[in-house]
Amino acid sequence: MKKTLPKYYPLIPVFAAYLIMFLIGFFVPGMWQMVALLAFYCALGQSWNIFMGMTGYVDFGYVTFIALGTYGMSLGITYCSQYEWLGIGIIVIGFILAMFLASLSALLEAFIALRLRGAYFAIACIGINEGLRYFIEGAKIWGGSEGLIYFGALVQALGRDTVNQLTSFWADFSVFIIAALAAFLNMHYMRSKIGYALTAVREDEDAAKVMGINANKYKTIAFLTSGWLGAGVGAMAWGLKLGYVYPGDVFVIHYTVECIVVVLLGGAGTLLGPVVGGLIYGLSKYWLAVIMPGFQLLIFAPIIIIIIVAAPEGVVGLLKRRLKGTRLEMFIE
Amino acid sequence: MSSMLKVENLESGYGAMQVLWKPSLEVKKGSITSLLGPNGVGKSTFLLTVLGSVEPWAGKIFYEDKEITNLPTHKKVDLGIALVPEGKHLFDGMNVHENLIMGAYRKEAIKYIDDSLELVYSLFPILKERDRQGAGTLSGGQQQMLTIARALMTKPNLIMLDEPSQGLAPILVGEVFETIQKLQAEVGLTILLVEQNAEASLNAASYVYIMHEGQIKAEGTADKIRGSSDIREAYLGI
Repeated sequence: MKKTLPKYYPLIPVFAAYLIMFLIGFFVPGMWQMVALLAFYCALGQSWNIFMGMTGYVDFGYVTFIALGTYGMSLGITYCSQYEWLGIGIIVIGFILAMFLASLSALLEAFIALRLRGAYFAIACIGINEGLRYFIEGAKIWGGSEGLIYFGALVQALGRDTVNQLTSFWADFSVFIIAALAAFLNMHYMRSKIGYALTAVREDEDAAKVMGINANKYKTIAFLTSGWLGAGVGAMAWGLKLGYVYPGDVFVIHYTVECIVVVLLGGAGTLLGPVVGGLIYGLSKYWLAVIMPGFQLLIFAPIIIIIIVAAPEGVVGLLKRRLKGTRLEMFIE
Repeated sequence: MSSMLKVENLESGYGAMQVLWKPSLEVKKGSITSLLGPNGVGKSTFLLTVLGSVEPWAGKIFYEDKEITNLPTHKKVDLGIALVPEGKHLFDGMNVHENLIMGAYRKEAIKYIDDSLELVYSLFPILKERDRQGAGTLSGGQQQMLTIARALMTKPNLIMLDEPSQGLAPILVGEVFETIQKLQAEVGLTILLVEQNAEASLNAASYVYIMHEGQIKAEGTADKIRGSSDIREAYLGI
């Protein structure tokens, strides 16, 4: 394979979008919460898309990672907040725990579920997610079904002012960072040997193996990366921001479905897709909830169906086709 | 001649169903060896087991006198074994050139990528003409050529072809077999050819194994098999 210079141009519109969102949220009063919600959807879409876009495998149990990330942060804060000298270090410990739990479950899932393909893979992932939830509830570990409530412990350890700043700004800000990191990693993988290998796997896994591609290795790398990022979002946007966790709140397939909708709206396997999808989904959900509370899903379902039928490649897929041959082409991936 | 591939009492299958019942086979270096037999006797499973896509249950596989029975597929490809899978497993979304580049994925092959490209384009000039065309839009014969060409890009020493003549018009079958003979004579590859087309295989191969119900039922030089009317009638129907 000839070495071509890595072209990271398609990252420019993605980063620009995140920067604009951040600036709007930061400087326009009252906008921060909405921008944080949008960043949450963009980050999740981007993280989920790393695995799905490159391998073609649909991980229906993705929320497992988000949930375990939340639990990692919760456990770190709950059990370490009594040591005063740790200070802000308990957040770091929580984050490391989140990554550890995500790695553990990603490797386990990769070992069990990545041997399966198509619908069987999706079902196995859902099974693992539900299994984990009922295991936590049934075995009464980590607080069982009563969950963990540690907001008080957090305030006691770090003081009210610090905690206010953490939950109202830094938790959301780190979601932006994770979203940008997800975009960068996605681009980096696409431009490296992993990307070539996974493209071959997506097109024809059997043929890829015959070419000497270690399909399992590369699938596991993408799965692990995707899991880490999801756990990071969970740890920050839920674990740190909310100050409590219940298994029934976090192991909910609904959030996986939201990831899928975001990615399909924007364009599966594209870099800009999750950003566009996240914005469309987040904004419409927000507005529909304001103008017609309770009816948002009823209205949203047909809108999604129409978009999927009219533009099966997603908005960015459509855009890519329109821009083919123009100078803007190299910025859209 | 020394042995390139040696398989001893191989057993494998899918789930609880055993497909291979201890066939043994040897491919001499630089030869064309053919494995013949009708549909559903385990020929493809045999190749997949040799390459490790299907796990061997028992038996031994040697490559250049080193045992490789339980190596994973990608390590076997690294050693220089290539499989041209049955039914043209191409990357349909990529063009001809990209398919070939994907073939040179392993480290050893990347070094020789320019030489390999030159070789396959000289063997299959039609692929050079169409190098930017989508692989899925090629004709059946061209797709078969591309599958073989892509396997050559891995820089193999041993190439295993799974029914390369399947689904091709008779005139194209002749072309494919000519190419296979060229690979042996001009490129110096060792070839294990799995086929249903007995007539053409007997002409191309120097040594022939006949498989039936997962076992090797007969073997011999091509001339011996052609000369034995018993074998021909019982297993080949010619």
